[in-house]
Order: sequence, then C-alpha cells, then structure tokens
Amino acid sequence: MVKEQFRESDVAKKISHVTFGLLTAHDMQQLSHLHVVSKNLYSQDGSHKPVQYGPLDHKMGTSEKDNTCETCGKGLAECTGHYGYIDLELPCFHIGYFRATIQVLQMICKDCSRILLTPDQRKTFLDNVITPLTYLQRKVLKKKIYDKCRKISVCPSCRAYNGMVKKCGLLKIIHDRYKSTRKGNEAMIAEFMGSFTDALEHNKDLEPLLSKTQEALNPIIVQKLFKRIDEEDIPLLLMNCDVGHPSDLILTRILVPPICIRPSVVSDLKSGTNEDDITMKMTEILFLNDVIQKHKATGAKMSMIMEDWDFLQLQVALLYNSETSGIPIHMQPKKSTRGFVQRLKGKQGRFRGNLSGKRVDFSGRTVISPDPNMRIDQVAVPVHVAKVLTYPEKVNKANIKLMRKLVINGCDTHPGANFIQQRDNNIKRFLRYGNREKIARELKLGDVVERHMIDGDIVLFNRQPSLHKLSIEAFFAKVMPHRTFRFNECCCNPFNADFDGDEMNLHLPQTEEAKAEAIILMGSKSNIITPRNGEPLIAAIQDFITGGYLITQKDVFLDRARACQLISAMLSQRDTAMKIDLPPPAIFKPVKLWTGKQIFSVLLRPNKKDPVMVNLRTRGKNYSSNEDLCVNDSFVVVRNSELLCGAMDKGTLGSGSKNNIFYIILRDFGEQKAADTLSRLARLCPAYLSHRGFSIGIGDVTPGDGLIKAKNLLLEDGYTKCEGYIRDLEEGRLQTQPGCSEEETLEAMILRELSVIRDHAGKACLRELHKSNSPLNMAICGSKGSFINISQMIACVGQQAISGKRTPNGFEDRALPHFEKFSKDPAARGFVENSFYSGLTPTEFFFHTMAGREGLVDTAVKTAETGYMQRRLVKSLEDLCSHYDLTVRSSTNDIVQFTYGGDSLDPASMEGKDRPIDFQRVFDHVKANIRIDCHDEPSLSGPELDKMVYEKLETKTYNQLSQEFKGDLKEFIDSISQKITKTRERFGVHGKIRQHIPPVLFELDRVTETQVEKFLGVCRDKFMRSQIEPGTAVGAVCAQSIGEPGTQMTLKTFHFAGVASMNITQGVPRIKEIINASKVISTPIITAQLMNSSDAEYARVVKGRIEKTTLGEVSEYIEEVFLPDDCFILVKLDQDRIKLLKLEVNVDSIKESICKSKLRVKPQDIQVHSEAVLTVHPRETSKSSLYYVLQTLKKELGGVMIKGVQNVSRAVIHVDEKKGNSYKLLVEGDNLLAVMATPGIKGTHAFSNNTFAMEKTLGIEAARTTIINEVVYTMSSHGMSIDIRHVMLLADLMTFKGEVLGITRFGLAKMKESVLMLASFEKTADHLFEAAYHGQRDTINGVSECIIMGIPMGIGTGLFKLLHKYPFLVRLNI
Amino acid sequence: MAGVLFEDIFDVKDIDPDGKKFDRVSRLFCESESFKMDLILDVNTQIYPIDLGDKFRMVLAKTLREDGTPDDGEFNPTDTGPSRADSFEYVMYGKVYRIEGDDTGPDSTRLAAYVSYGGLLMRLQGDANNLHGFEVDSYVYLLVKKLAF
Repeated sequence: MVKEQFRESDVAKKISHVTFGLLTAHDMQQLSHLHVVSKNLYSQDGSHKPVQYGPLDHKMGTSEKDNTCETCGKGLAECTGHYGYIDLELPCFHIGYFRATIQVLQMICKDCSRILLTPDQRKTFLDNVITPLTYLQRKVLKKKIYDKCRKISVCPSCRAYNGMVKKCGLLKIIHDRYKSTRKGNEAMIAEFMGSFTDALEHNKDLEPLLSKTQEALNPIIVQKLFKRIDEEDIPLLLMNCDVGHPSDLILTRILVPPICIRPSVVSDLKSGTNEDDITMKMTEILFLNDVIQKHKATGAKMSMIMEDWDFLQLQVALLYNSETSGIPIHMQPKKSTRGFVQRLKGKQGRFRGNLSGKRVDFSGRTVISPDPNMRIDQVAVPVHVAKVLTYPEKVNKANIKLMRKLVINGCDTHPGANFIQQRDNNIKRFLRYGNREKIARELKLGDVVERHMIDGDIVLFNRQPSLHKLSIEAFFAKVMPHRTFRFNECCCNPFNADFDGDEMNLHLPQTEEAKAEAIILMGSKSNIITPRNGEPLIAAIQDFITGGYLITQKDVFLDRARACQLISAMLSQRDTAMKIDLPPPAIFKPVKLWTGKQIFSVLLRPNKKDPVMVNLRTRGKNYSSNEDLCVNDSFVVVRNSELLCGAMDKGTLGSGSKNNIFYIILRDFGEQKAADTLSRLARLCPAYLSHRGFSIGIGDVTPGDGLIKAKNLLLEDGYTKCEGYIRDLEEGRLQTQPGCSEEETLEAMILRELSVIRDHAGKACLRELHKSNSPLNMAICGSKGSFINISQMIACVGQQAISGKRTPNGFEDRALPHFEKFSKDPAARGFVENSFYSGLTPTEFFFHTMAGREGLVDTAVKTAETGYMQRRLVKSLEDLCSHYDLTVRSSTNDIVQFTYGGDSLDPASMEGKDRPIDFQRVFDHVKANIRIDCHDEPSLSGPELDKMVYEKLETKTYNQLSQEFKGDLKEFIDSISQKITKTRERFGVHGKIRQHIPPVLFELDRVTETQVEKFLGVCRDKFMRSQIEPGTAVGAVCAQSIGEPGTQMTLKTFHFAGVASMNITQGVPRIKEIINASKVISTPIITAQLMNSSDAEYARVVKGRIEKTTLGEVSEYIEEVFLPDDCFILVKLDQDRIKLLKLEVNVDSIKESICKSKLRVKPQDIQVHSEAVLTVHPRETSKSSLYYVLQTLKKELGGVMIKGVQNVSRAVIHVDEKKGNSYKLLVEGDNLLAVMATPGIKGTHAFSNNTFAMEKTLGIEAARTTIINEVVYTMSSHGMSIDIRHVMLLADLMTFKGEVLGITRFGLAKMKESVLMLASFEKTADHLFEAAYHGQRDTINGVSECIIMGIPMGIGTGLFKLLHKYPFLVRLNI
Repeated sequence: MAGVLFEDIFDVKDIDPDGKKFDRVSRLFCESESFKMDLILDVNTQIYPIDLGDKFRMVLAKTLREDGTPDDGEFNPTDTGPSRADSFEYVMYGKVYRIEGDDTGPDSTRLAAYVSYGGLLMRLQGDANNLHGFEVDSYVYLLVKKLAF
C-alpha cells in the first residue's frame, strides 16, 4: 500500500486571476433569483414567516437550521445563498465611486460627452493606453490625462463651454457653467441670462442670485451623459470596456445579498428577531422606493420628490459605507450601522479577519511550564490534549497491529483513536460507540484511523506575538500527565516566553508531507540560530548559566562518588545507556579528586567514540589579563572537547554570542550534537545546583561595614562636586559646553555626576561583597541581573530620570513641596541615596514611582508602535524571495537585488562578523582536531605554507569559491605564515640542521600539510553551505529581523552624538522615521569633513560660513537718523566682534545681503560710508509712508542674515578624540547642497542623516546608503546587531523604483501591483473601488493574495514547479 | 628514570599576588634551583597546604609506572599496584595544551609550556633545552613532595 502523495485539493479548477469590475443593472438581474419589492420582513398575520419578495424571502437562502433554501433546497450548511435585487425608483450615486464619477465628469464634455482632449492629445494618449500597462502605470496615466482634461474648457469636438465640476455637499455635484470670470463662454452666458428676462420682471429678488447660477448634475443627468460616452473614449478614462462602463458608476438597481451573510437572530429575551444592519437598510430603501413611487403617481410637489430622492441617496450610501461624513444633521441616522465597507475593513473585517487569517482545527492552547528533563526538541503534551488532537494515519502492513490496538482503546484511553474511515465507503465512524473489537478486527489496509497524538508526533508550537519565524517551531510531542505544555527552558528565547502564566498554542500537522516539512524547516533543532544575525537563540539561560559557571569554578573538587553521580544525572531518555569514559582524576594524591571542569568536559564529549571535538579560545566576562593565566579564571580554553581553563559564563553558554560553545558544536558537528549537549547541560546544572545549594536571603542584600563606608564616601564626594557646580553657576564661573546654556550645562554635569555614583556603587558591591553572595554570582556570570541591580538592592538606588532628565517641577519652581524653591540639590531632583534594603524616604519613593510610571507608559506605547511597524514591514517585504538565478525578486518578478546582499550568503550561516567564516577559529580547530594523526609529519615553514595554499586554491576543487572569499583566505594564510617565519627567526630554527634543533621548538606554531589540506576543505565546505538557498523568503526574514528587535528598544531615547548639546533621535522613533521615508525628520544633522581637519581655527572659520549670522549680531547699533533734508538708518558694525567670530563679511557683502533680503531695498538706497558704517535710505511706496518704511526697516534690519546657510539652525565643531585632534563639523539643518558647496568643507565627505535630502542632492544610491547606515547605526547604538544583508534588502526595496518609497500605505501603493494585497493592508474599500473602476485584473501570485485565495504560494518550497510533464513510458515486465 | 620529562626543586616565591580569588586553590609562583625555570602552579591548598618559602621537589612524568611504560589515558580504579606516586605527597594529572614562545623579552628564546590539571593551571617557563619531550596534547603527571629544611 503505497501512500498517495498529497495533492492540492480541487485541482480541476484553479484560480488564475481575479478581475474587479462594475456590475451593470442587467448583470445584477442575471445574478439574482428574486426581485425584492416588499418592505415588510415578516407577514403580519403573526405566523412569523418571511414575506414573499421581501428582504428575508427564503428564496435567497436561509439563516436558520430548520429551514431550507427555497431555491436550491439545501440546508444552512450547504446553501451558499442567492442574490436578490431592488430596482431604485430614481438612480443614485454610488458612494464608493463618487470621486470617480466626479473625475469622469471633469474629463468629459457636459454637452456631447466626448473626452476633453484635442485630437492630437487624444491620439497620443490612445497610443499610450493600448500598450500593455501595469496597474501602477495605468494609475499614473490616468492622473496625467485627468490633468490635461481639466485644463481644457472648450470642448474640442462640439465647441461647448465646460466649467468646473465639483462636489457640493453630500452626494451632490454641480457644474459651474455660467461663471462669468472665465473666457470663452460670453455668448452662452448672454443667452442663458436672456432666458431669465421674463422671470426677472416678475420677481426682482432673483437678480442678485442670477450671477451665482450653477448647473446641478443629478444622477439622472450624469447617467445620461455617461451613457453617451463614446466607446473609443472609454480607454482614455482608463476603464476596462469589458468589465465596466462609466454609466455603471450610477446605481439604478442594487443587489440584495443572500440571507446567510445577514442572518436574523432569534432573540431569547424579547419575542421576535434581531435583524442584520443590511437587512434593515434594505427595508428602508424599499420603503423610500415606495414613497417616491406614490409621490410620483399622485403628482406630489417636486420638492417633496427631491427630498425623498436625497433621502434615498443617503440610505443607499449608508448601505455601502456607514461612516460617510458630512451628513446634514436632520438626516443623520440615529444609530450607527455596519455598511459593506465596514464589513470588509479593519482588523476584524473580512480581509484581515477572515481571508488573511483563518481558524484552524487540530490545535490546542494551555499554560506552559519549564521542564529541564525534556530535550530541546521536545514538548510535553497533556494527555487531555493528546486525546483530542488526532492524526489520520493510513493503515498499512507495518502498523496494522498498532492500529488495531488503538481502535480497541477508543476515544477515552490514551493511545487510542477517535474516528475511523474505511477505505471503500469513506464513512467516518466515531469510536466511542459501537463494537470496537469488531471494528478492529475488520480493519483493512488503506483505512484511515484518526489516532490520538502519541510520543514522537511532530507538532507546531507557537507563542504570540509571532514577531519572527522562530515564534513557531516544530517539536516532537511527548505525551505526559498533568495539564500544561512543558518544554526545556533553553527554548524560551525564540518564543520570548516565561512561565508567569504564559499560554502557548500547539498544532498537529495532518499529513506526512506537512510533518516532514515542518520538522526539517521549522524544527527547534534546525532553528537554534536566528537569521537576524546568525547568533544562537536557543542556548543555556538563567540557572543553567549559573550552574555552568559554578561547576566550572577553579575550586570545585569532587570525589569519585559525587563525580559519578553528577555524570549519571545528565543522562536521560535515549542517553541512559550511553557509555561514559570517566577521565582520570585531576588530583591523584593525597585523595583522588575530579574537578568541575573535568565533569564539564565529560558533558561535551561523554566517551572517546564521540566525534565531538570542540575547540574554543575566548575571553570570558571578567577577563583581566594574561590570557590563560587570568586571575579571575575567565579565559576559556576548550581543546578537543576538554575544558582546560576558564569558567563558563553567559558569553560561552548563553544566547547572543558566537563564542557560545553550543554554537560552535552546531557549526562544526551539526545540530543534533549541539542539541544533545545542550540537553545534557540542562540536566547537569540543576543536579549540581540542587546539591550545592543556591538561594537568596536577606543576608545577601545586607551591606557590610565596608560597603556602607564606601557608599557614603561616594555620596559625599558626588554631593560636594554637585554643590561645587551649583556654586559655580551662581557665581557665573561655570564653563558652558558648546551649544548649551549655563543651566543646561549644569544639568548635564550634575546628571553625569549622579549617574556615576550608582555605577561606582555597583563596582564597590563587586569589591566588598563576599564571593558566595548569590545575586553577585548571578551578575558575574551574566545569568540574571546586573551590577546596577545589585547596587540598587544593597547600596544606592540612584538618580531617577524622567525622559532622560532629572525630575521636572511638579510644583511652583520645585519638584515637591518638601524642598526649597529653585533647589538644585541632588535630593530635591530625584536622587535616591537609599537602597531598597535600607528603604526609601517618602520623597524618594515618590520620585521612584514617577520613573516607574514612565517605564510602564513607555512599554505600553511601544508595543503598539512597533507592532504596527512590524506589520508594515512584513506587508511590504513578504513576497521577496531569492530565485535560482540568485536575484531577489518580488512576486511580480521585479528585481530588487541582483544578488542577495551582494554576495548571496545566508545571514544565518555567518560565523564571523558579517563573514561566512572566522578563519582563525577554524584554523585552530582543524589543527587541534587532527594533531595526533599527523604526529610524524614535519611542520611547515612560512613560505612552504604560503606556496601550498596558493597552489591548492587554484585547483578545480576550489573553483566555486568567490574571488572575494579566496582573497580573504589568502590574507589570513599570509598572516599565519608571517607569524611562523617570525617565530622561527627568533628561535634560530632557520639554517640549522634539523637534528640539532630541540624538537620542542617545532611545537611552536606547528602546521602540517594534512592540517592545511583539511583546513582548506573545511573552509570550502562552510562557504558552500553558507550560500543562500533559492526560494528563501529573504523579504519576510528581513522584515522580521528589523521589526522584532524594535520591540525590545526603549521608545524615547535621545542620544548624544559626541556633543552634549546635539541630541539625535534614536530608538523606535528614529527607525520609524527612516522606514517611513519622512521628508522632514526631527533631528536632521549634516556631518561634514573639513579640508583641513587638524586645525581648530580653520574649523571655526568654516563654522562661521555655515552658521546663520544676522546683522543685529554684529552691529554696534542700528539707529534712525533724521536730517532736515533726509532720513535714513545708520548701521555701525562691530568690527571686533566680526573678527572674534571669524566671520568673512565686510560692508560690501553686508550691503549685498540686505539687498537680497526680503526688505526690498534697492542697491542705490544703501550707501557705504566707511568700513564699519553704512546707511539705508527708505523709499516711500504707494502702500506705506516714508516714516513707516523707516520704522519697518529699523525693526527688520537686525534680522537680516548676512552670513550662513539657509535652513541651518546651528553648527557645532566636533572633536574626534580617538584620532587625536581631528575636527569635523556637525550641522543641524537640512540644506546639504549649500553645506557641501561651502568653501573649506570637503564636499565629497559631507553627508546628512536625512534620506530625502541625500536623494535630492546626491541621488538614489546615496539615499540607499544613508538608509543602510542610519538603520545600522540606530540599531547598534541600542546594542542590537542585525546582519547588514537585511538592512540592504530593506534599503533596496525602498529605493528600487528610483525614488525613495516609505514603508507606508502610500509607498506600498507605489510598490505593489496587487489589489488584494493592498486591500488587505490598509484603506481596503478605497483600493477595491479603484480597482473596480479600472477593471483591474489581479493575477494571484503574491503571498497575501495566495493566502486570501487559499492557494499554496510561490516562495520557499512552492518556488519550483514541474514545467513539463514528461511522458514516462511504462515498462512492462514480461 | 624512564618517562620523566622534567625534574627540579622549586622555591615558592609568592602566593596569590592579586589576592586570594578562590577558597580552595592558590596560585604559587616558584623558581627552580638548578635550571632557573619559572613556574606558576595552581594547587589545591585545602588538601595540600603550601606556605611562602616552602621548597618542593617537582617531577613531571608521562606515566606513574615505575618502569616507564606509557599508560593509555584510561582511569582504572582497580590499579593499586606500586607506582611512582607512592613516594610523593601531591600528584596531579593533566594535559599539555599549549607551547608558546615567550613574548615578554625582545629576543628571548625562552619557551613556556602550559599544562592544565583539570583547570588547575601550570606554566613552566624556561630554556627550550629543558622542555625536551613536551608535546602539545600529551598527558603528564605532576608529582610534588615538600622538602624538609
């Protein structure tokens, strides 16, 4: 019985595309089964039966279980419903197409309905239109034609005058035909006015109104106009003739949707039913229809009919969109309803709620708890859950025995089955009832048994928010008693889970294909590494790190019993029978003792047959100096899986580091070995800790005398310094920092002083506390908490900051009424000198709550902000994937990148920093691994090594390596060979005969031929393995990699860019700015290198050129002078000041500046008298007298800009301390072009942090680079590392269209073609209506569209398809 | 004596110069008498106390067997036969994992061999000729006996 391969369901029919369009009245009738006419819902005779031909007629389907559809006769579950229609007495505008209607009216002649284009224009546009265009191009073209049409007022074909068409009130359009200010219509106006002569005679009041006459375009007129539009003009409106005519934009008939989508709910409380909003709206429309009909028949007043018409319009509008704004007050509906648009849009709407996110079966949810006894690829599933989630297993020869047993067990005994489906009759039988023994006996091959979940089943495990692909992983189920899902704590990180009541979801895949794909692609073992930056995410956490740290301490000695007990503790499940090689004890005499490090070595490599031979040499967290001999024993050396020195800590055990020992096992020996080792650690550490004891008590947070003394000393010192600063300020001695006022300087200095106190207190804790202190141990090894946390508990809570500053004034001139006004003391401004142990004073406590509240508010705001950012990122990037030609393309095959990340390497397999291999580590590893095997080989000299490697790299085996990679490799080998040569020279190995040299000297930097060969092979393998796989959803991974760390960033953080005064926005707001491609950013800064970067004086001169200087700033006085025959303004320049500021201005340049300013002074009105004096003469104008001109001049002259760059608020000289005295300018402002052009600035080395400014001045490539740099900078200053390839892809997506597009609804609309995708993002209804107008055809190939349509998507394993079905010849065995 | 790599008498010059970091382990800085070798050695002082100024004889050997037959690196708790350890007070077993040139001097030709006894480190530094037979990845026994004055 061969298992049938999984096939996509319903293969007979496949959706190739979706076309949006307009329904004609005729179409509606064709679709419908019923003409709805009755406004009553139920018959009035109390039988509670729907009225025939009413909105609830059962011909349109049914909403109750006990009624069948009268059209198809099916029940509630089967009947899909049938449409009805209502004929409107008078045509109405469609609210969704209202804008389109106006636009069409603006584009056509209101007389002859031809399009308002000259024959030439029409021809060129027609040529454009008939070429195949993408949706985006069509939208652009429509805008273009529309703009052209609006400019033409006289119809080229009938010479009729066309005025402005505009919206006037709700759903009313007017045509401003008789406006007299425009030319070309005099004759027509005259004729029109003439027609009123009679009327005017009888009614004089008409006269003033006559000039304001406009033509109202009611739906009837509009429809007539639209009907007359020429067939050949329709393409020029960018409509699609096949699926919509302009006249269909006006409603004459509306569809009544089937009853099943607007069910009536029988109310329990009161008699009768609750009807759906749509049904109610239908009755209202029918009612108005009746009224109009009656009025028409009785010949009622025109105004009455018009009023009814308006009302009908409104009801029809509300049926479609109930959030229509601008409804006159007397017409406003009493309660808000849900229109069609409301049903579609929003998170709970049809698109996002039902089409993009579907509910699933075979899933469970419960609380999670930790279990270190689980392997890291296991999850414990409660029996209760296992009995509900079933898997349909096909009976075959191998499993029929088991299946029989399961069938006999039935639903209520655990390894049982719930249903059975026989192969021949396809009937599903429930196994709770009936004779199970008999069923089991009759079980045949090919039957399907829906058996309970059993051990080893593959399940998907997920925790919300699912921010990245690691939030859902595949595990092996292990059915266990009790009621929670349990898994190894090491797997907390990817889910960001803890056990304070978190719940998680579990899904059981239902086919073998799904299971296989899940465990290979999503398995927790296969996803130890995050693709964000290639660092391990599944690693030891918390107690495991503490345990690993404590057991590898230098003074851990264990006797044989204890050592063996510990070793056996780490074996469980399938390891229980594993052979263990106990190493010889480290100390033989006086007693045999093993050290903790030896136990750890056993953990890494339990027996000599185990292939795991890891090598690691790295600094630990507390590394001091002297490498191996570090006094803190914090230099970790692992050689061939033996821990030789150093204590393991966060860096070598925990997540987020590529020096992690498990990461290295993973990269060198595969995921299974890494997972096994991690599982062993998860069992060893708790065993060791529970024997050794590790707890916390009040004693741990009680400070000793030494600590109290140290803390008091620190406080005293800090307070005196602060007082000193305050006194300095009062006495005006305080040296201000560049760009800061005195007050700001003081604040900055005090804040720095006070925050230093806490840090120092933390250090004092480290010094003074005993080694056995538990919190201290945790901080040292990095498992939990920091020194600051310890310091807060034991010594000093420290300064409370609110939005980065000291506590602001809550009362008049003070923070709290307990302090003096204007007090700047530390205590008055939120400094808490007590510790949590000693207790906070009331004021301190209050300050503390303020800071605490800020934190809470921040997180609340942050989650919403980043969630939305993530959604936008994912929507825009979801369909990008790498292809077989190495390009990255969108679903419409637009190329975004030619090679992924420029090198087509997978970010998840970067072992070095953004590089595929850390050569040194691999080299050492290979050398250590095969040392014994090449014991007798001679060690290579420098030149020998070089020669060998260079020759090898040219051979065919290494063809596939990229040149770049080969270059890196050669560079590394060169450095090694140089080192060898140097060592050999020093020890005089050269020149002597080999036998005379002590063999120990060859041990130095020993490399042999086999080792080099192996090294090159390993490098090649690693490089080839790190190539990105075609089909990888690089876009989605990129979006997640940028969005997910966003959630961990604190929201409002300002960061000092070298200069205290220059804050630049950081964190989530900054990322948002970059991603949105905001034109105006909150802190635009131009960084400019100077021509002469070493001269401070030079920098000041250039600064003067850039910074804005006004005339008032450099003049001694500006005064008005009155002489008998003249009056003028006299300006005296302050020459000293000009010199001091290094300004390059003189009277002449100032004269010029004044002329250029907005004061409208002509050059001849300014007279230069001397180097420092000039006069400005006022000139009388028609609007103002001489005196006032003089006064304005006097007021305004001081503000005239005489030097500097527009839009620059200030410039700061930045001293790069690292490179000695190297100066550069930081300019706050947006005018990059002007700054670059300023003499003294190195134009080639000036750049802005504003993407838009960079694009404007330097082009799209510069904008791309800016996006990359800014995102990387912002992320790294928050301590988040993201692989550069992700940022590159984002930047490329934002720029690949040739302009910078933001990841917003506007940018997205310009990037994506698919209507369904755009509709499922934002502005659902708008996109749908627009698509319908254009008659857009949506081929289903993007991710969103495929999900909506329920089709497997074309990325990942869906990328490749069988293009040609080869006709295999059936070979007969004769 | 077969299998002996090195033997000398050392003077303890200093103990834990940076302060005592571990309760049961101390780091000794010693100097040898005959070969002028520098030794840094971590010793479990809880079971084998050593004071400043103590003198001890240290032997590094490849095996504990008197006849010098190499051992296989397996721990055999039943092996209670005569061994070289019988005449020493403190015996450790470890691995030579690193041999480096001395980087301190400008052109010194001194070598340093690093041995780890289950995390207790030893660095033996001195002339290359005295470090004959040291090989990376080989296992050694360290045997110590204090000398009486």
